[in-house]
Amino acid sequence: MILNGVAIDDTFAEAFGMRATRIIVTALNLKWAYEAARTMTGFATSVIGCGCEAGIECELTADETPDGRPGLAVLLFAVSSKELAKQVERRIGQCVLTSPTSAAFSGIDGEPVALGKNLRFFGDGYQMSKVIGGRRYWRVPVMDGEFLCEETTGMVRAVGGGNFLVLATSPAEALAACEAAIDAMSKVRGAIMPFPGGIVRSGSKVGSKYKALSASTNDAYCPTLRGAVDSALSPDIGAVLEIVIDGLTETDVRNAMRAGVKAVCDVGAAGGVHRVSAGNYGGKLGPFHFHLREILA
Amino acid sequence: MTELCLTLKHTPAQMVDVSALTPDLLAGKGREDILRIELPTGNRKLRVADLFDLSGDGAQSSLTIRASTDRLASIGAHMQSGTIAIEGDCGPYGGLGMRGGKIVVHGTAAAFVGCGMRGGAIEVRGDAGDFLGGALPGDKQGMRGGSVVIHGNAGDRAGDRMRRGLVLIAGDAGAYCGSRMLAGTIVVSGRVGHSPGFGLKRGTLLLAHPPAEMPAKFQDAGEYELLFLTLLAKHFEHEGGSFKAFLPLSRRVRRYCGDLATGGKGEMLLGLSS
Repeated sequence: MILNGVAIDDTFAEAFGMRATRIIVTALNLKWAYEAARTMTGFATSVIGCGCEAGIECELTADETPDGRPGLAVLLFAVSSKELAKQVERRIGQCVLTSPTSAAFSGIDGEPVALGKNLRFFGDGYQMSKVIGGRRYWRVPVMDGEFLCEETTGMVRAVGGGNFLVLATSPAEALAACEAAIDAMSKVRGAIMPFPGGIVRSGSKVGSKYKALSASTNDAYCPTLRGAVDSALSPDIGAVLEIVIDGLTETDVRNAMRAGVKAVCDVGAAGGVHRVSAGNYGGKLGPFHFHLREILA
Repeated sequence: MTELCLTLKHTPAQMVDVSALTPDLLAGKGREDILRIELPTGNRKLRVADLFDLSGDGAQSSLTIRASTDRLASIGAHMQSGTIAIEGDCGPYGGLGMRGGKIVVHGTAAAFVGCGMRGGAIEVRGDAGDFLGGALPGDKQGMRGGSVVIHGNAGDRAGDRMRRGLVLIAGDAGAYCGSRMLAGTIVVSGRVGHSPGFGLKRGTLLLAHPPAEMPAKFQDAGEYELLFLTLLAKHFEHEGGSFKAFLPLSRRVRRYCGDLATGGKGEMLLGLSS
């Protein structure tokens, strides 16, 4: 399959089951909603070292938020419900509670996970509970007024680790194509791309020559190792970048992958893009398989 | 099937406990079964057939009591589900300890309406008596959930020892509104009598008009736009119906902390024009 001069490999992305939640962060204006949400989703690129993968899903208008202020929907993904609960509490406590004028609400129904349930104790006994419309909110007194936070958010089963690789002539061309992909993918609801700017350059393979490491650089896709290893790259490939996708459902991941790969193909061979591939582990580890050619069909 | 309807034949000489007549307790009962139900009054019992004309079928989720008077006590007490429409007045203890469903009183409600309720909704189109949403004498907690909307005025000690839930009074509230309240929210669109929030431990008294005299045990904390009021207003809009009478809800308020004699962790919010 070749689209606009870009070869689509006959392969698939292998994804895993994760636990996820959506949190709505609001503030006095969008600038400060972004400050809170960006801080909260910082250092959340990979569950390997960050505990969770998180990103901003979309902007919400004042009509779409519980408190009638501008806000953002944030998605968090973790490998277990226990880890997700820990990360939610830590990130809301350190990044949203601390951010001026902020408030946090559940953005999804599911198994309850503590949001403000324990953070309320920061109020030192002056916190107040309000049950409105069957949902409990906590009003925690802080120095700019009150931090309003819903007691719990919902946890759902989700899909993490959808991906595709962009193989181009140079790093600049690979990056430009991936940026176009991220622009298109960020419009898809229910999915996030957790790496910096949504793009990852250090794709990994399972295992390492060093016993302490469970993963190491994906040497088959490192252009500088062509000749030294069993490379997957032809001589015209000078750089490979990857986009990793976490989604609330399999469909969300598929939609995001489709939007991204199509945007890459729109850049095409004229933009220095030669191939699109995907990462997998032979299909034995992850229950979700996203075949590139099926997605684009 | 037609709606189950009980029409009072005559005003009873004494108070009659009609707590046995709730949609969930009547479920599965036929017409004859319902007519045989005994209702305590004084030191004896009356059958439903002695007091009411029955029309419609049994086993329905809604029940209408016509020509109701304030001699009918404990209407809808401990009900779990369904709807009771009261055409006329409602005696004391209406909705006592109810857990779900809805009671609509088209006339006035006597004392202790919504007393100790845990869930569900009560709407009173007329006035309500004393101890609305309060606690039974000796009980430590009053209303513990659900909502009560009063279109008219409420008597003294509305929300006494209230623990959770929402009380909305479109008219005036009597003296000691929110007395000894533990938590929850009371909104009064009219005026309140003396000593509102007496012994208030926690919870919110949201008043459209300042009391004639601010109790000395409440301290001014300044003016704020509190976010939870936006949530409350949105809830009123969403619920519609009787809740809409409380819109627009003032989002800018002057906050008074109190009752300082009982910890000062409650609040009286006075609505301000934003």
